[in-house]
Amino acid sequence: MAAADTPSATLRHHDLCSRGIRLARKMRSDVSDLLDIYVERQGLDASISVAAVDGVPAAAAERWAEQTGTQRLLDNLAAYRAFRTLLAQMLEEQREQLGDADAELGPALAAVLLQVSAFAYHLEELLELESRGAPTEEGSEPPAPPRLSLFEQKLRGLGVLRELAQWAVRSVRDLRQLAKHGPGSGMALGLLESQ
Amino acid sequence: MSCLPYFLYFKIIFLVILSRASCELLPCCASVLLPLFSHFSFVPLTPRILSLTPDFSTFTLTLKWSDNGSAFPYGLDASWEIEILRKETMEDVTRESYNSKLTHEDIIHSWNWKSDMPLECTSHYVRIRHYINITQFDGHKDWSDWSPVEPSGSGLFPQDTVVAVGSNVTFCCVHEEGRQVQRMSYGAKDYPLIRLSSRSSAIRVLNANASDASGTNIVCRMSENGMDGTVLFVGYGPDVPEDLSCETSNFVIIKCTWKPGRASGLYGVRGTKYSLIESISGKNVSCEVNEMKKERICGFPVLADQKTYSFVLGVSNPIGQTEASLLVDLNQRVNPETPEKLTVSGNSSTSVRLHWFINGSFAEIRLLCQIEISSGHSEQKLHNVSMPGGKFSTYTAQLNALHPYTKYRFRVRCSAADHFWRWSDWSGTEEHTTLEAPPARGPDIWRERSPSGKSLRIFWKVDRKLKMSVWSLMDFFVVFVADNVKTDRAVAMGNGIYISWNSYPNMTCGYIVKWCHSSGSEPCSVDWQKFPSNTTDAVIKSALFRPGVRYNFSLYGCKSSGYQLLKNITGYTKELPPKRAPNFTVEETSSDSILVKWEDMPIEDCQGFLEGYRLSFAKGEKDALKPRLLESGNPELKVKNITDLTKKSLKILDLQGKTSYQLDLQAYTAGGLSPPNSLYVVTKEDSVGLIIAILIPVAVVVLLGVVASIFCYRKREWIKETFYPEIPNPENSKALQFQKNICEGNKSLKTLEMNPCTPNSVEVVETQSAAPKIEDTEMMSSKTDTIVPEDGSDSETENHVVVSYCPPIIEEEISNPPMDEPVGLSQVVYIDIQSMYQPQIKPEEESEIDLVTTAGYKPQMQLPVSALKIESRSPAEEESDKTAGYRPQANTNAWNMDTPDSPGSVESNNENASFGSPCSINSRQFLLPPKDDEDSPKPSNTGWSFTHFFQNKPND
Repeated sequence: MAAADTPSATLRHHDLCSRGIRLARKMRSDVSDLLDIYVERQGLDASISVAAVDGVPAAAAERWAEQTGTQRLLDNLAAYRAFRTLLAQMLEEQREQLGDADAELGPALAAVLLQVSAFAYHLEELLELESRGAPTEEGSEPPAPPRLSLFEQKLRGLGVLRELAQWAVRSVRDLRQLAKHGPGSGMALGLLESQ
Repeated sequence: MSCLPYFLYFKIIFLVILSRASCELLPCCASVLLPLFSHFSFVPLTPRILSLTPDFSTFTLTLKWSDNGSAFPYGLDASWEIEILRKETMEDVTRESYNSKLTHEDIIHSWNWKSDMPLECTSHYVRIRHYINITQFDGHKDWSDWSPVEPSGSGLFPQDTVVAVGSNVTFCCVHEEGRQVQRMSYGAKDYPLIRLSSRSSAIRVLNANASDASGTNIVCRMSENGMDGTVLFVGYGPDVPEDLSCETSNFVIIKCTWKPGRASGLYGVRGTKYSLIESISGKNVSCEVNEMKKERICGFPVLADQKTYSFVLGVSNPIGQTEASLLVDLNQRVNPETPEKLTVSGNSSTSVRLHWFINGSFAEIRLLCQIEISSGHSEQKLHNVSMPGGKFSTYTAQLNALHPYTKYRFRVRCSAADHFWRWSDWSGTEEHTTLEAPPARGPDIWRERSPSGKSLRIFWKVDRKLKMSVWSLMDFFVVFVADNVKTDRAVAMGNGIYISWNSYPNMTCGYIVKWCHSSGSEPCSVDWQKFPSNTTDAVIKSALFRPGVRYNFSLYGCKSSGYQLLKNITGYTKELPPKRAPNFTVEETSSDSILVKWEDMPIEDCQGFLEGYRLSFAKGEKDALKPRLLESGNPELKVKNITDLTKKSLKILDLQGKTSYQLDLQAYTAGGLSPPNSLYVVTKEDSVGLIIAILIPVAVVVLLGVVASIFCYRKREWIKETFYPEIPNPENSKALQFQKNICEGNKSLKTLEMNPCTPNSVEVVETQSAAPKIEDTEMMSSKTDTIVPEDGSDSETENHVVVSYCPPIIEEEISNPPMDEPVGLSQVVYIDIQSMYQPQIKPEEESEIDLVTTAGYKPQMQLPVSALKIESRSPAEEESDKTAGYRPQANTNAWNMDTPDSPGSVESNNENASFGSPCSINSRQFLLPPKDDEDSPKPSNTGWSFTHFFQNKPND
């Protein structure tokens, strides 16, 4: 915590949060575009409801306001690590199914995957600054999903992208909270704000 | 069979029941009994299904059963009947036959059936029975037990399948008990549901269209937000590859290319797969191709000791497969790799050595390589060189006959020498400059001795490749100049100048044409051209030649003793019009001639060989606004053409005295006329004629005066008596006769005559008669006669005034009068002055007369008579009058206001109202009424005309 208390650490923390917010906003925008492309290319109905997909972390949190800054970062990191795996899987499936035929969806997916990876790395940096350290990925590796039919793959992809869009919004809010209260705020940020 | 006794029938059953086992116990029975019963059928055993296996991916059921064999040595014809039902509906899907031969062996038969819907959609049941010699047996045949295929699980079937475009596909949605299928869609469209069972519904898609790259989604929506889906890929089977071609570039890999033809519409794992099979060696390779490229490429390794390859390109996708084949002799399909590492070496001025490397093994063939040689001075040249091929070798070629000290650019490409197939790509370009060499000859020089002979000017043509030094020029440089060297004119030819000369036999070493380029003030730069001795003409060309510039050429003949000037030649590449006209002046003028002189023009201004002058002249004042003489098209323009160039003056004769002339002088060449130089000259007055013209009339007048004086003197008494009597006689005074009638027969009084001279009298008639006179018709219509005046005045009391005067010439045709217009309101009658004395016309003919009399003039405006009768007019009416095209120059109301109670009748008012402009024929009203008329009770004084004026004049 000593490192987190220095002015330079505070400055860096603020800088990291600001950049993270910009990254998350850009990611939100790109995922939104990707969703449009995805729905159109996969021939899906945009209003189709997708049930919760196994392995896809949900952005909704029961007691979001009571979470500490570190806890928020850990949740975000776990989610984006999961998205990184899921998006990589989607990209692979896309290449397998469409080959060279699709010149738009594949690159768009790859671009979002890159942003997710970058954001996960960004979160790891923030956790380092919190003197908390990022957890290893081995434990958070999701189990290999069962072989799905093509239609199920399409739906799962849609679910992943929708949830990623939700997470991008949540990440912006989480990082805003973190930026407000500085590094090392052990207390629940929402509660701090209410005090 | 009907003729068979029953016992026999049972016996047959017995025998069949005995079957093979019985015959094994009694080996002789078959040989004994079969001939006996060969014409009879046997009661078949009930078959037993060994297995019924579904293949859900292909919708296929595989049925297996055993025929149990036969005890008879002869094969029996067995027919199997198979029936398939679907559950719940117990729909008899199909009943099919299968024939086999019953032999001694117990054979397990297998039969496949492909369903038109996924087997998962509902349960299927299969049973089987059979006959032996079916044509002769109609007895009882037992079915086997039903063999079921019970699918498990739920979902939408078929899952992720591929079908050909145009296929009919059935999709079924299998769900849990208690749920209901609400709708099923194929793509974006809902299809009608087909209920298969309590837990299965289906849709049938007919003639499916090609799907998108990601397939067409089929979604089944069920109650309780249940949803299942599947993806169908609809595409085409692979097309036969086109233009299959195989070649090698290095004898390591054979590269085969082809065009895929129609796209299958299937991508990724369902995309078209290619494999290259070499049938001689039996080897095959799988080809990785890019589906989005038009041309596909696949490599096959070159096999040792195999020159001929028989390729079969297998093409397949989930819908079908096809192939293309090609037989090639590899030595005839060599397209070598691009030569690389090209280097040029050489220490010669005329030859170089080229080295390059080709990445390939061409040891068994010869190579033909082509070297492209290019330099800045000459066109590209190709040099072919054949050489034995090598294994990943460097090749060398030598090039000779190059120019010394020249920068060359080289590049190389190669092919097979013996069986040309294709050239490789060109190698990179390499530059090399050959070494210098001693010059083969000296420079082209010319020498000119100064007129004094003390100095010599040397000219040479620059050869940039040669380094030049002046050594001794004191050799035999002799130029013979003849005294009478003539000068010829040269002819322009194209962009050069054609020069010809006679052949001079003693000129043994050719001719030289020398000329000089002069540009402005710079000294003339000498140029020359040499010709062999057998030449007698040449076209001299030079980039420095300019049109309109005179060039002087000197032709020298070369002989052993030196050069001899043979002749001079002048010429133009193109003659232009002279830049300007020569300056000219008027030397002398007289009353009928002008002498002009002009100066010579400098050669630079001529721009061609001067051919003459053109002097144009015509009467004309010096006026800058007037068009130029040559452009005016003046018919009096006279032109004199002077072709004698030695003539520098010209006298223009036959001119008029005291007249201004414009003179234009132009020079002209074959290229055209120069701009003109203009002068204005006034010829002198002819004084003799003038004197004569004055003196003769003066003399005549004097003479007449003298004669008259003499006559008058001698007749003075008679003159006095005649012209100046003591008592004058008025009858002798003719000067007063015009007062009687200025228009009757006295034609001498021209000054008082109106043209045309119509009766120029003014008649004022006052009548008490009710009968209208002919004059009245001019002013009154028949309608106006019927109008009763409001004041009760009778028409008998009215005074008519007819005023006539010499009208202007009226040529206007009358337009059709508005006949429907109330005549009493607007009808105005006009009279032709000349018809004043027409005979009296009956009243009923008046309308016709109106028409006649109104012809010949159309008033500019017809004033409403009512306006004259009614004092107060509505403003609207006034406005309408204002808007009319013409209005009188005086207020007609005012005129009537002055005499409201005058004895004048309506008709008399009409007279007034009808007056318009004084220029008009109907202008009978005073525009400015005389003051004495204002109080006059007699409207007869209201008339006005010129004739009236003349008549009243004496009273004045």
